[in-house]
Amino acid sequence: MALVKTTRVVFWISKREINDCQLRIRNMININKQGKGYHMKLKPIVVLLALSFAATSAFAEDTNNGGPTLTVSGFGTAALTTTNNDQAQFARPNQPSGVGTNVGAGVDSDFGVQLTGKINPWLSLVAQGLVNKDASDSYGGELTWAFAKFKINDDWNIRVGRMELPVYMISDYQNVGYANTMIRPPVEMYTQVTVQNIDGADAIYQHSFGDTTFTAQFGVGSSNSQNSGGFDIKFRDLTALNLVLENGPFTVRFGRVDTKFTVDTLASLNAEVTALNSLGFTQQANELNINSVHGSFTSLGASMDWKDIVAQAEYGKRKTDVLTVPDTTSWYTMVGYRIGKFLPYYNHAAARQDSATTVSGIPNIPQLAPLIAGADAFASAAPKQSTNSIGVRWDFYKSVDFKFQIDRVSPDSGGGTFVHAQPGFTGPVTVYAAGIDFVF
Amino acid sequence: MKYQLIASLLIASAAMTALPAAAEVVVVVNPKNSATKLTSDQVAQYFLGKSTTLTPVDQSESSAIRTEFYKKVADKDPGQVKSIWSKLVFTGKGTLPKELGSDADVKKAIAADVNGIGYIEKSAVDSSVKVVTELP
Repeated sequence: MALVKTTRVVFWISKREINDCQLRIRNMININKQGKGYHMKLKPIVVLLALSFAATSAFAEDTNNGGPTLTVSGFGTAALTTTNNDQAQFARPNQPSGVGTNVGAGVDSDFGVQLTGKINPWLSLVAQGLVNKDASDSYGGELTWAFAKFKINDDWNIRVGRMELPVYMISDYQNVGYANTMIRPPVEMYTQVTVQNIDGADAIYQHSFGDTTFTAQFGVGSSNSQNSGGFDIKFRDLTALNLVLENGPFTVRFGRVDTKFTVDTLASLNAEVTALNSLGFTQQANELNINSVHGSFTSLGASMDWKDIVAQAEYGKRKTDVLTVPDTTSWYTMVGYRIGKFLPYYNHAAARQDSATTVSGIPNIPQLAPLIAGADAFASAAPKQSTNSIGVRWDFYKSVDFKFQIDRVSPDSGGGTFVHAQPGFTGPVTVYAAGIDFVF
Repeated sequence: MKYQLIASLLIASAAMTALPAAAEVVVVVNPKNSATKLTSDQVAQYFLGKSTTLTPVDQSESSAIRTEFYKKVADKDPGQVKSIWSKLVFTGKGTLPKELGSDADVKKAIAADVNGIGYIEKSAVDSSVKVVTELP
């Protein structure tokens, strides 16, 4: 079953070319829906490529000053990933499967195309399609962003539509390998909140005070996210605050996301909650049931690119009102040193669980043992893990870089971020990845 | 023998680095712009997408003046600049500066846009633009 995120396009522009592009994206997704075999995987990429060329040619003559312009840009990563352990599979957040000792392209590869239409000095339209492995085992296409941006004045912009949800410091460009030093965002932290989009509106204020630029962004809306576990998460009353201070090579960032979220299509959870309720364990059922419960993610980040020293660090706390989605703390610190076109780096990342890993108050009698085991399994679902990574980025050609990264991943009990872990699996696991990032 | 090789390598590299240093780059704006002097850091803000008060115009990607400009104004090579822009472009938060093929084209664009900012060789300066920063 291929990934199909809803593609309700919120654009109302009448440009035939854009409509055509939407149609192509829909077709692409439909193709993907039916795609079962290996040969189908490349199709979305081919269609996206065709789409980008079609758009380029359609607007090739439209470069006169003042009039509407359409810019096509894109990015991608072609990477191979493997590990030294077949007892479990290494995957990015929200990928249902990954790689063991086999070599796979699915973990770290993606391809995106973006259309930016500047209608006039105050109105622009942005649509971005992304093909990668997310939530399903095959490459799926999704409309990551489609929004209209209204420039109010030099400081204020309002955006309406589907936009990136600024959960993390690099949420904006986490799929753009070329914009990042490491081959992938640290999985310990970026698995905490996997929803990437918000359907709604936001306001962005950006002002320079001398050499310092302050950016504030506040968004409201909702989102539906397909989980690799085969269920959906509905986010309602979603708010996102993102504050950024930049001074030359230094950036400091604070983010806060709040939501009421619901998971009502996870059969195993529904069965557990129903059983608890029927036996009168209402409190325990409520501690597990994910029905419009509050959740938040608060994070601090800093980065610098000063002389030849590159550094980036983030610290985040997830809090929810249910044990099923445990409270966690996660962080990472990366440092690198640029030597000409080469940027070797080191990263340490970790995640731990803060809330209880057991559900208390159920009498420990044999008849209830399966119920307790089930409840405790839900309460301890957060990956607990740490990773040390070394890697190098080599900017060997304009707009193209090569990266090689080795991770030493140490999962605690429960397999950490690994998927399909077999009984008896323990780390640490060494992960190797090499790839090429490009932008156009 | 070994020293000879090193010496000739040094001479060769010195000759190579000396080549692009021949031109002096200046930052120019529209004469109607009230600014009289901008620091390198301020100029970098416009060309690295941190501020949209002025609209930057770039020179072509393969040109020597472009490499020199970013080296002097922000100590970045063209690849680093592209990487910085790719953080903005793929969120719709910024659009790449328009690329123009020559100093003359840059002057024309700046003269036509009261908010334009660009960079050219000092020898190409005329009354159609105003110099706000010199990058020796």
